[in-house]
Amino acid sequence: MARQRDGLTRRQFIGHTVAGAAAMSAIGAGPARAQTQAEAPKLGAQLIGKLEGPELVLDPGKAPKKFAEAPMLADLVKAGKLPSVDKRVPEEPMVVKPVHGIGRYGGTWRRGFTGPGDGENGNRIVSTDKILFWDYTGTKIMPCIAKAWKLSDDGRQVTISLRKGMKWSDGAPFTANDFVFWYEDVYSNKDLQPTPNPDFTINGKPGTLRKVDDVTVVFEFPEPNYLFVDILAGSTSMGGGQATWQMSGRTMGAYMPAHYVKQFHPKYTPKDQLDQKVKASGFDSWVSYIKNRWDWRLNPELPTLGPWKTVSPINTPTWVLERNPFYMGVDTAGNQLPYIDRISMTLAENLEVLNLRAIAAQYDLQERHTALAKLPVYLENRDKGNYDVKLDPALNGSDATLQTNQAYEADPEIAKWLHTREFRRALSMGIDRDQLNETFWVGVGTPGSVAPSETVPYSPGSDWRAKWSTLDVKQANALLDKIGLTKKDGEGYRLRTDGKGRLRIELQTSAGAFVPHTQIAEMIKEQWRKIGIQGDVKELERSLFFTRIQNNEHQIALWANDGTEVLYLFPRHALPVDPIESLLGHPIAAWYASNGKQGKAPKDPQLAKALELFRSAGGKKTEERYKIAQEIWKIMIDEQYSIGTVGQSAATMGVRVVSRKLGNIPARQINAQHCRTPCSSHPATFYYKA
Amino acid sequence: MLAYLVRRAALAILTMVAISILSFVIIQLPPGDYITAYIAQMSGSGSFVSEQEAAALREQYGLNKPMYVQYLKWMGLVARGNFGMALEWGRPVAEVIGDRLWLTMIVSLAAIVVTWALALPIGIYSAVRQYSPGDYVATLIGFIGLAVPSFMLALVIMYFGFALFNFNVGGLFSSELADAPWSLAKAWDLAKHLPLPALILGFAGTAQLIRIMRANLLDELRKPYVVTARARGLPERRVILKYPVRVALNPFISTIGYLLPYVVSGSIIVSLVLGLPTVGPLLLRALVAQDMFLAGTIVLLLGVMTVIGTFLSDLLLMWIDPRIRLEGRK
Repeated sequence: MARQRDGLTRRQFIGHTVAGAAAMSAIGAGPARAQTQAEAPKLGAQLIGKLEGPELVLDPGKAPKKFAEAPMLADLVKAGKLPSVDKRVPEEPMVVKPVHGIGRYGGTWRRGFTGPGDGENGNRIVSTDKILFWDYTGTKIMPCIAKAWKLSDDGRQVTISLRKGMKWSDGAPFTANDFVFWYEDVYSNKDLQPTPNPDFTINGKPGTLRKVDDVTVVFEFPEPNYLFVDILAGSTSMGGGQATWQMSGRTMGAYMPAHYVKQFHPKYTPKDQLDQKVKASGFDSWVSYIKNRWDWRLNPELPTLGPWKTVSPINTPTWVLERNPFYMGVDTAGNQLPYIDRISMTLAENLEVLNLRAIAAQYDLQERHTALAKLPVYLENRDKGNYDVKLDPALNGSDATLQTNQAYEADPEIAKWLHTREFRRALSMGIDRDQLNETFWVGVGTPGSVAPSETVPYSPGSDWRAKWSTLDVKQANALLDKIGLTKKDGEGYRLRTDGKGRLRIELQTSAGAFVPHTQIAEMIKEQWRKIGIQGDVKELERSLFFTRIQNNEHQIALWANDGTEVLYLFPRHALPVDPIESLLGHPIAAWYASNGKQGKAPKDPQLAKALELFRSAGGKKTEERYKIAQEIWKIMIDEQYSIGTVGQSAATMGVRVVSRKLGNIPARQINAQHCRTPCSSHPATFYYKA
Repeated sequence: MLAYLVRRAALAILTMVAISILSFVIIQLPPGDYITAYIAQMSGSGSFVSEQEAAALREQYGLNKPMYVQYLKWMGLVARGNFGMALEWGRPVAEVIGDRLWLTMIVSLAAIVVTWALALPIGIYSAVRQYSPGDYVATLIGFIGLAVPSFMLALVIMYFGFALFNFNVGGLFSSELADAPWSLAKAWDLAKHLPLPALILGFAGTAQLIRIMRANLLDELRKPYVVTARARGLPERRVILKYPVRVALNPFISTIGYLLPYVVSGSIIVSLVLGLPTVGPLLLRALVAQDMFLAGTIVLLLGVMTVIGTFLSDLLLMWIDPRIRLEGRK
């Protein structure tokens, strides 16, 4: 216990000392504490620019008619190894208007990654292999590999039109057949996909896929599914694209390079021939083998659609991507994208090394794993390293959310209080969010509830950011007294009502989050002394953290609520609907996900109402869905099932360290799950200035 | 002698089987499995796994089967020289470890050379010139070396290396050469990166060995045979090196058993801090990810190395120390 209280981890230790030293030297002699606090947000504000990004030219009349290509490809064309650029680019290319101007070809983008588990590092750069996408503001749906989409009036059909003449990275045509192959031979194959995926069902009923012609596909549902266009644009298992949804054994993504994958599929390749291949490659079954072969990070031979493809796989010390000569995107002058030839990601064995390398300017552009706590050191070294630091605040409400277990039973006394609205409100008002913000978000976060940013259409409004979510020790104490927690011990802590000593609430945290949840919980625990509540901080290894949640053993768990800004596409950090991450109570999530067949219904009528609203939303049209989401947020905040602290910050993938040699870098880019940060900024348009 | 060797070999094999069972069981002890760890990792890095996917993956990797079935399946593979698939890496375990094994051995051997090259002469000097200024200096440095944790030293050196000298941070190669095939340039690059980790890794061991060498030698120097050798007029150099030093080396030899596993794993914490691409960080990562095939194989490898190392040090002791040799003959 003592060790937990006093012991900073090694990483925090350097973070703090280095940051501290740097902050002092930056401010100069004898600054008062108040002055430091006042300066910090200003510092942050200077680093947050105007939201901007590349736009798509949607009018086919304005599309360039002549195309140009990178010198490295022109050489291949001359050597006869590659068809000319006008034969590679689709007849209907994706025309991107770069944010600042036409770039120049060449260069290697240096980045850091942390090993084979860090696939998202590359996935997010090649995410223009999604069916639909979002514009740079994250609010408008845009075409991507689909040039257009149509939702039928009854909401039961979504028709997708592909780009004529579009090709895979090996030059083979990309057509509706690639969707059909995925649907019939992968998704409908019980060995590969044992159960239907919820993203492709409506109210538990499965959807289907049908080819109309070579460039047209229809998704059909037995009930209205107005949400499905959002699903195709979001970071979901249907619309998330090949790279992200066919890695690490995943089977989704809605399309697949049929001409290549067929050779590993028993329907198209004789069993004995396939078995031999499987054995020779050291796999135990064709399922493991085919999943390995369609993983873009592991298999350089796999045809892909994104701007770059793997040439040296992720399980080596350097994960290298090289331009896809058949990429569908061009700039407004007709230059085939991407501008940058290669992306070279070097393995950093730990985050400390990665951050030091970024500080030493060994990376050209890195927004992943760069720690907010190191901001002062980044700033101190930016001229020496010739780089800029840009902060991209996220849209979600709270990077460290106290999720109370609404199905907790192990200790009836604790359960009673966790399930009491006044108790939760008091806990929330006992937190000094400004202190947390200054300490752990270097003053650049936004204190408040779990509500997303007001720029999001789901936002219940700015009042709800503050509701029950500002420091008010007096009111908190009054609430606790009112509900009967009046007796205190010698140290001023409130006692349990069953006579078993002090009331202790367990705060479960996980090691290795983007912001230091354990240290944050320790500070909250200190703050709660003033309301007489004893918090016990328990730091757990990440997988133990989730196992305890699955076993319904946690009282309060700390986790970020990232992704909740698009409530319907990623609800699991806001509502107990997904048994995989059921922070508000596993039995309730199991109950919801199984339509009441498993788990337990929520006892709290308000929570039940929120879940009912959520279930009703999928069949509703966009405007109505917004209203329902606002309604849900109001319930969640009024009830304080999830206690927000500080959010809308740059802590997760929002500290962008950018070499000054790079062009077309947005001053601020959207930082959100559904926008696949940095992909809404179209990394294919980044380039090296002379 | 032959019977002794055969008996030792048979015991060693039994020990290894026991080690393999133990390592597999221990790795499975923490709650959850590879898939839980994978879910946690995805969630922590801004992505997610659906429940359906988790179930399909458990089925695919056979994680829903009882532990003994998983163990027997693994052992069946091991018996055929296949250590299974490293789950997180999507590559055969043998390849994943093989990539790093050579580098690990180079770093560890360099560290051992540094340790011995410094510790033996300084230890001898400290003992022979006991309480001289040189002895005090060596003792002081020795105690500092013992007291400062090597990861701390690594952090400090790394930060100052960057802040003052603009050193390349971490790793064993420059980034442009990390993935290049072996060449003279790459070997030279490695040679340039090697001294820092070798010194840091060697420093703590050096301090310890100096103290051991000094104490052992002091014991021996006071024995009558040394006095006799001197009385017979042997040169001082010979008196010291030929007899007492040889006897004082005894404890060094018996620790070779522990050096061998060290050579293949390297120091986990220092390697992690310095970002060395060695087996140590691989083991840590495999344990965190609950990748039981990779972690199990590394633990098994360490066990085998310990068994072989102990065996070797027994043989070496017999060779270097006539007393043990003679005892064996009786």
